[in-house]
Amino acid sequence: MAQIRLKNVSKRWNKFVGVDNFNLDIADQEFLVLLGPSGCGKTTTMRMIAGLEEITEGEIWIGERMVNKLEPKDRDISMVFQSYGLYPNMTVYENIRFPLKVRRIPQDQHHERVMKAAAMVELEPFLERRPAALSGGQRQRVALARAIVREPNAFLMDEPLSNLDAKLRVSTRAQIKNLHHALKTTTIYVTHDQIEAMTLADRVVVMNKGLVQQVGTPMEIYDRPANTFVASFIGSPAMNLVSGSIENGVFTSDGIRIEGLPHRASGAVTLGFRAEDANLAEANGQIEAPIYTVELLGEATMLSMRVAGELVSIKVGKDYRAEIGDLARIAIPASACHIFDQSTGARIEA
Amino acid sequence: MSEAMAHKRPALLNTFIYDFIVLWVILAAVPFLWTVWGSFKVEADFFSRESWWNAIFGTATMRETGAAFTGDGYYGAWITRDFWKAAFNTIIVTICVTTISLTLGTLGGYALARSGKNYAFWILIAALVFRAMPHITLVSGYLLPFFQLNIWGVLPTSIIVLVAINQPFTLWMLHSFFLSIPKDLDESAMVDGCTRFQAFRLVIMPVMWPGVVTTGLFSFLLGYNDFAVTAMLLSAENQTMVPKISSFLGSIQETGNVMFAVAAVVSATVPLFILVLFFQRQIVSGLTAGAVKG
Amino acid sequence: MPNKTFFAFILPSLIAMVLFIALPIVSVVVQSLYVSHEQIMVEVENCQPFGGCSTELRVDTAATAALREEQPLGRFNGLGTYVNRAHLATTELGVILSSERSIGEKWAQILNLPFYKALIFTLVYCFVVTPLAMALGFTIALAVNALPKVTKGPIIFFSLLPMIITPLIGSLILYWMLSPNGILGATIQHIFNDPTLSLRASPALTWGALLTYGVWTNAPFSFVVFYAGLQTVPGDTLESAMIDGASRWERIRYVIIPHLAPLATFVALVQLMDNFRVFEPIVGFSAEANATSLSWLIYNDLTGDSQQFGSAGATSVLTILGVVILLSPVLVRTWREFKHKAV
Repeated sequence: MAQIRLKNVSKRWNKFVGVDNFNLDIADQEFLVLLGPSGCGKTTTMRMIAGLEEITEGEIWIGERMVNKLEPKDRDISMVFQSYGLYPNMTVYENIRFPLKVRRIPQDQHHERVMKAAAMVELEPFLERRPAALSGGQRQRVALARAIVREPNAFLMDEPLSNLDAKLRVSTRAQIKNLHHALKTTTIYVTHDQIEAMTLADRVVVMNKGLVQQVGTPMEIYDRPANTFVASFIGSPAMNLVSGSIENGVFTSDGIRIEGLPHRASGAVTLGFRAEDANLAEANGQIEAPIYTVELLGEATMLSMRVAGELVSIKVGKDYRAEIGDLARIAIPASACHIFDQSTGARIEA
Repeated sequence: MSEAMAHKRPALLNTFIYDFIVLWVILAAVPFLWTVWGSFKVEADFFSRESWWNAIFGTATMRETGAAFTGDGYYGAWITRDFWKAAFNTIIVTICVTTISLTLGTLGGYALARSGKNYAFWILIAALVFRAMPHITLVSGYLLPFFQLNIWGVLPTSIIVLVAINQPFTLWMLHSFFLSIPKDLDESAMVDGCTRFQAFRLVIMPVMWPGVVTTGLFSFLLGYNDFAVTAMLLSAENQTMVPKISSFLGSIQETGNVMFAVAAVVSATVPLFILVLFFQRQIVSGLTAGAVKG
Repeated sequence: MPNKTFFAFILPSLIAMVLFIALPIVSVVVQSLYVSHEQIMVEVENCQPFGGCSTELRVDTAATAALREEQPLGRFNGLGTYVNRAHLATTELGVILSSERSIGEKWAQILNLPFYKALIFTLVYCFVVTPLAMALGFTIALAVNALPKVTKGPIIFFSLLPMIITPLIGSLILYWMLSPNGILGATIQHIFNDPTLSLRASPALTWGALLTYGVWTNAPFSFVVFYAGLQTVPGDTLESAMIDGASRWERIRYVIIPHLAPLATFVALVQLMDNFRVFEPIVGFSAEANATSLSWLIYNDLTGDSQQFGSAGATSVLTILGVVILLSPVLVRTWREFKHKAV
C-alpha cells in the first residue's frame, strides 16, 4: 500500500502532446478515477504509472521510490486491462497463480492465495476452465482475481467495465467498490463513463486534451464544475449551456431572462443550469419557448426547447403532457445557475 | 453465397462452372500423376516415339524388364548415383534453415510488432526491398568472399545464407501474426512480474504456435525448393536434391539417365505432396495472412 | 518498447540480413567495377638447331596465377563492363539504331545482344504471366466459391500443387511432357503436322511453354488469396445489390471486384517481384538458346570454366536497379503515407 505522486508529468510523441504537465498526489487507500473522453490522456497517464509507457518529462513516485526508470514488474502494482489480457493457454487457476509464479513467491502459499482471491470474486466453480470457455463477466472477474492475488502497492484499472453489457456493468461496479472497501488498496481507475466515476470515486480527475480540467470529490465536480467542459461532461443529461450577456445580475439572451444573479460578472458569458434544477413556471417563466420534443422517461418527463440557438433539456414531473410546438414556461432559480467566462470557459464564482 | 444460391443459378452457368473446375484440376494435377506413373517405366515408354499409350501400358517396359512396372529409375538414382546422400543433405539443410529462421524471426518479428517506433517501420520497408532481391544477384556477391574465406562448398554456409535470405519474408509474416495477438497480453504479463523476454516466452509464444507452424512451412519450402543458392554454393559432394537433379541432366546422353532424373524428381515431389496433404489449412492461412490485412 | 529491448530482440535477424543481403549488394557493386586480369605475357627466345633464333610471346602461367591469387578481384575497369557488348552494349546499340534498316531488323539485332534478350524476356514474362495468372486465379476462386462445401477441400489440395512444387522440378515435369517424345510434345507435332516442331527448334514454342508454366505455377497463389478474400465480401452489400436489381455479373463488377482490389494490388506486387527473378524454368526447359532471363545471365557467368565475377556483378547491379524501379511506386506511396502520418 502506498501513496502515488505525479510531478510535472508529460508525454509527447514527436509534436503530439498526450499528457501535459500532470501534477497529482494520490493518498494511500484512495480510490481515484481518471475521467475524460477518449484521447484525453487518461489511459496514457495510467500506463505511465504502470511503466508501460515511457515518461517524456516529470517524475512518478510510488511510496518512497521514484519509479521513472523501473520496469513494470519492479513497480509492484497490478493492473486490470480493458480486454482483460487473460492468458488463453492457461486455466483460470493458472491465470490467477501466474503473478505468484513469476515473482517467485514460495510454492506452498500459492494454493491458499489463489483460492482466497477466487473466493472474493466468486470464481471457485470455474477454476479449471480456460478463458475461452467463460462469459465476459467471468473473464472480467478472473482479471480482478489476478490483480488481487498478490498484495500490490496499487491497483490500476483501465476501463474494466467497458466490454460488459449494461446490467453486468452495474453489478461488477458494486463488486469493485466492495473489493476496495475490503482490501483498502490505493486504486486508480480510468473511465469515460461519468456514472462509474461518480459512484466509485473518492476523488475524480477530469481530463481533456491532455490537460487536467478539475480535481475534486464527485459532489464538488457535480455541484461546482470548474469550466464548461466539466459542466458538459458530468451529469445526464449534460448541463444546459446558453450563451448571452449579463449586466447588473441580469442574464439575457434570445428567449431567456434570469434576474438575481451575482453582480461580479458582466458582459458576454455562458450560463449553465441542470435539467433537474429547472421546473415549470406558475406564471411568468425565465424561459418561454415552443416545445421541440417531449420524451417520457418513466420517473420523469424530459422537455427540450430551443433557447438562443441551443437545445436545452428540462426535467419535469412524470405526469406532464404536452404536444410538440406548444408554448412552455420554465422557471429557473437563480441559485441553480452557473456562470462561465465565454472566451476561456472558466467558472466565474459568485 | 454458395449453397443457398446454387439452385437459383442457371443450369448453363452451373455446367460451365463444373467444366471449368474439372479442367483446372486436370491441368493442376495431371502433370504430376503422369510423371509419377511414368517414373516406373523405362525411357522408351515414358518418351515413346510411337504412341503415348506405351507410357500408360508400359509396352517397352514389359519387353525390357518383363513386368509392366520397374523400379530401375529409382534404383539408379538412389543407389547408383547416390541420390540418398543428396536427400540426406536436404534433410539437414531444411531442418536447420527452418529452426534457425524461426528462432531469429520470432524474436525480430515480435520486436517489430510491439515497437511502434519509426525505425521499426523502416526496417520493415528495408525487409520488403530485400525480399524482392533476386537470390542469384546476392549469390554473385557471395562467391568471391566465400572463396577467400574458404567457406565455400559446405552445408553450414548454405544454411546461413538461406536463413538470411529467408529473414525478410519470415519477419513480415511473423510480424503480422504477432500483431494479431493483443498487446494487453504481454502488458499484463509484465505488470504481473515478467521481464519483456519472459513475457515473450511464457505468455506470447504459447499462443503463437499456429503462426510459427505456418511460417515454418514457408521457411521449409524456401530451403527445400531453393536452386540458386544451393547450386552455386555447394560442392558436388555436398549437393542437396534440387542441384543434384540438375546435375543428372548434365549427363543426359547416357541411356537411362533421364529416367534417373525422372525418378529423382518424383522422389523429391513426394515430401511436398505430404506437406500439402497435412498442412493445407496452414498453407492457405499463411498465404492470406499478409494479404487480407494489406 | 525501449530501444535497448527492441535491438536486443531484433539484432540476430538484423545481423543476418546486413551480412548476407546488404553487404553482398555492396560486394556486387564493387565486383562489377573490376575485370579479371589479363594473362601475363613473356617474351621467350626460341632457338632451333638449324632455324636460328626467334622470339615469341608466351603466357606466363605461374605469374598469371600468382597475380590472380594476389588480387582476386582483378583490375579496375570502371564502368567498362556495364557498356560492353554483353551488357548495355552502348556502341552496338548506337550502330543498330543509326543504321538504315527496318524496325523489324533492328529489333532482331537488338534481340541478339545478350543483355537485351534477357531483359526483354524477363519483362515479357513479368507482365504477361502476372495478369494472366491473376485472372485465372480469380476465375478459379469464383468457381470454387460456387461449389458445394465437400468438394472444396480436395480442389484446393490439387490447386496448391503447381505453386508448392520446386520451380526446377515443376518446369522439368512440364519440359518432359513437352519434349518431342513426350505426350504433349508429340501431340503438338501431330496437331501442326510438323515432325520437326520442338522446343529446341521453335523460339515461339519455347516462349509459349515458359509463359504457360508461369501462369500454371502462379495462378494458385492468386486463387488462394482471392478465395480467402471472397469469404470476407460483406453479405449485406451483396444482398442490397441483389435487392437493387444488380445482375450476377454486375454484383461481381460493382461489389466483389472493388472489395478485392486492395488484395489484387498485394498479389500483383508479390508476383511481379517473384516473376522478375524468373530463373529455374530457363534451366529446367533448357531454353537458353531461345529465351534467357536476367537471373539466368548471372548464373551463366558464375558457372562454367571461368567465372566472370565482373560480368555477373554488372548484370546483378542492373537487375537490382530493375527491382528498385519495379518497387518504386510502392516505396513512393509508403514514403508519402509516412510523411503524411508524421505531420
